[in-house]
Amino acid sequence: MAWTRARRRWAWALVPVLAVLAVAVPLVVARRLEPTPAGTPVNVRLEDFKLRRDVPVVPAGTVVLHVLNEGPTTHEVSVIRTDRAPDKLPLRRDGLTINEDAPGMDFINEAEGLDIGDRRTLALHLPAGNYVLYCNMDGHYLGGMHASLTVR
Amino acid sequence: MPRSPSAEVGATSATQRPAAGGRSGIGRLVPRLPILGDLRLDRRFGWVIPVFIVLVAAIVGYNARATSQERGSALVVNIAARQRALVERHTKDVLLVVDGFQADPEGSGTALHQEANALLDGGTVIAPQGNDSFVKIPAARDWKIRRKLEQNRRLIDELTSTGDRLLKGGRRDPQYTAKVTRLRVLTAQLSSVSNDAVGEITKHTEASLSRLVRIEIALGLLGALAALAMGLLLRRAGAEQAAQFRSLVNNSSDLITVLAPDGTIAYQSPSVERMLGRRSDDLVGTALTDLVHPDDQHQVTVSLTKLVEAPGATANFACRLQHEDGSWRHVESICTNLADDPRVHGLVLNIRDVTEQAALRQSIGDLLHNLARRSQGLVDRQLELIDELERDEVDPDRLDELFRMDHLATRMRRNVENLIVLSGVEQRRRWSESVPLRDVVEAAVAEVEEYSRVQVGGIHDLTLSGQAASDVAHLVAELVENATSFSSPTTRVEVSGGPAGNGYVLEIEDHGIGMSDAELAEANNRLAAPLAADIAVSRMMGFHVVGRLAARHGIRVQLRHCWFGGVAALVLLPPALLGSAGERPAMAPPVPAGVMASPEPLLLAETTESGWQQRAHLPPPRHAAPAPSRGGDTDAAAEAGDPVE
Repeated sequence: MAWTRARRRWAWALVPVLAVLAVAVPLVVARRLEPTPAGTPVNVRLEDFKLRRDVPVVPAGTVVLHVLNEGPTTHEVSVIRTDRAPDKLPLRRDGLTINEDAPGMDFINEAEGLDIGDRRTLALHLPAGNYVLYCNMDGHYLGGMHASLTVR
Repeated sequence: MPRSPSAEVGATSATQRPAAGGRSGIGRLVPRLPILGDLRLDRRFGWVIPVFIVLVAAIVGYNARATSQERGSALVVNIAARQRALVERHTKDVLLVVDGFQADPEGSGTALHQEANALLDGGTVIAPQGNDSFVKIPAARDWKIRRKLEQNRRLIDELTSTGDRLLKGGRRDPQYTAKVTRLRVLTAQLSSVSNDAVGEITKHTEASLSRLVRIEIALGLLGALAALAMGLLLRRAGAEQAAQFRSLVNNSSDLITVLAPDGTIAYQSPSVERMLGRRSDDLVGTALTDLVHPDDQHQVTVSLTKLVEAPGATANFACRLQHEDGSWRHVESICTNLADDPRVHGLVLNIRDVTEQAALRQSIGDLLHNLARRSQGLVDRQLELIDELERDEVDPDRLDELFRMDHLATRMRRNVENLIVLSGVEQRRRWSESVPLRDVVEAAVAEVEEYSRVQVGGIHDLTLSGQAASDVAHLVAELVENATSFSSPTTRVEVSGGPAGNGYVLEIEDHGIGMSDAELAEANNRLAAPLAADIAVSRMMGFHVVGRLAARHGIRVQLRHCWFGGVAALVLLPPALLGSAGERPAMAPPVPAGVMASPEPLLLAETTESGWQQRAHLPPPRHAAPAPSRGGDTDAAAEAGDPVE
């Protein structure tokens, strides 16, 4: 059947729509199907200038930190194993940031540069012990961005 | 016998060429775009041109807006970066004052507040370069930047209030150390937040710039595509028009020729192959006059030369062009000088083949000529018979009547000769040797009915070429007869002569009723450019005949008003026709029929030194009544035996 002019016009208009769908749909599906690391999940919320985690105590093994920065400024989250109280960590000479090289401080891992709204997943293999989560940007720790995490 | 074509250079034409034809579609919307010229735009341009205009407008508009925005963004980055320095200065000022030094924490705190507010909501701040000038910065619009700047402002509020409390409590305050620590922590946090905001603003600016570049590239590409599409469509439309024009030109029966200023053919329409059997490419670069009949070349050259000197003027001329097979085609040309038009830069000739019309005119002319020749033979025989009767007659009354018959027959012969002249055939009466000019003038006068009113005087002793003698006599006779016919019978007509810078002038003056300026101009036009024999000729036949005779020999004839009334006809004989009196004049030419020797004294003419006998005895003037008005009823004048003007 011969196509009318109007039909041909609609057909040409559909071409870009189909092209966009062909690219977007696989990307979304692929993102949804990203494998989540196995382990004990801990949701960590960062904000000016607080650090909150939903679970204070987790079993030893793989712990997966799901970090979300609620802003408004950029933050980071560091994990250190120490028996010191979270608000008594040693500071560097600047008096503003944690001295991670001090005795009794065992740096585990960190997630840096989380802008507002950013999510990051940090999978850690943590043996039993006391840990502190904190933001080590200038003044953030002293502003209150720290929390303890106990692994049993 | 080929007739000499007429050439006429028309008056300068101020007629404008017709405007381009009707337009359709977008052509009506953009009727005067010079870039589009006379292109007839079709509907395809209905979308291309608006799209092109919108794209260009979008590119320009987006550029202007983006440039303005980026300038503001650069300022914002600078001001935000300055916040960090201001925070540190404020903290230092507070600590200095607490320690008893001179500082201005209040001023730095105020500056911090002002800039924090301006960064968030827009406003005027001190320019980055200082020097007490101010700049206006726009409000932050990006939500991330706004969140960070809000946090920045909140921390500044807390910093200044902490500083105020520290200043208020001083060192003695028990919470002094905690407050100082808080002040330092806030300073560090502000530094971090400021850096963060500056980073976000910079990132946003970079993203905007990248987006701007991408959009400009996209718009530029779209613009280029639109320009390409428009160019292709314009080219296609131009090609279609060119094809249409080419088809019209190729299939036209007329030739379109463009002559370069040097007379060579710059363009020749292909229809020349149909008309002249020649390829247009072969003619380009050759001279047009190479194709023109040798007899016509002078007139064509004169016409074109005059035209070249008058940009914008038009001229008409007729000539013969040679066909590839050697035959001659009669053509008429309308020529326009478009030398000032940069697209043409030459003379445009529209040439029409009129060979068939010319053949028709030729056959009519031949018919006219044959009839006139027969009549001429009969009149000649009649004159011979009258001549014999006059010789034998002794009765004065009878002789007088015979003279009158003789004179009427002479006039009939001249009328017949007029027809022969108008038919384009040259007179057979020619002499190989020159004859005295005075004799020619007197012979002419002798042919006029009212010869007795004519006074000849002041003719110099010059000779006239024998080839032209008969035609000049005919020419002068026509003018003299015209003068006598259109002036009162009681007045005299004077014929005189005098040398001029470029020849010799014969002047025929009458004391008649004269002519209006319009009549004089028309008559002079006919004298300067006689038309081919057609219906219009019958109106001023005498002037046409004079004009044709003059054109044969390069003689110029002009009428003008006399200051005392009447009309003077000036006949300028070119030097080529003249000789000095020392030359041996021709022996007596054949006595014109009706002219005979007489023993009686001659009233006007006599047997001259050259032996050219004039009319020996002429009857008295017939007309006693007042002369008819010039330009009157020609039929009535003809019936009365008067020359038809």
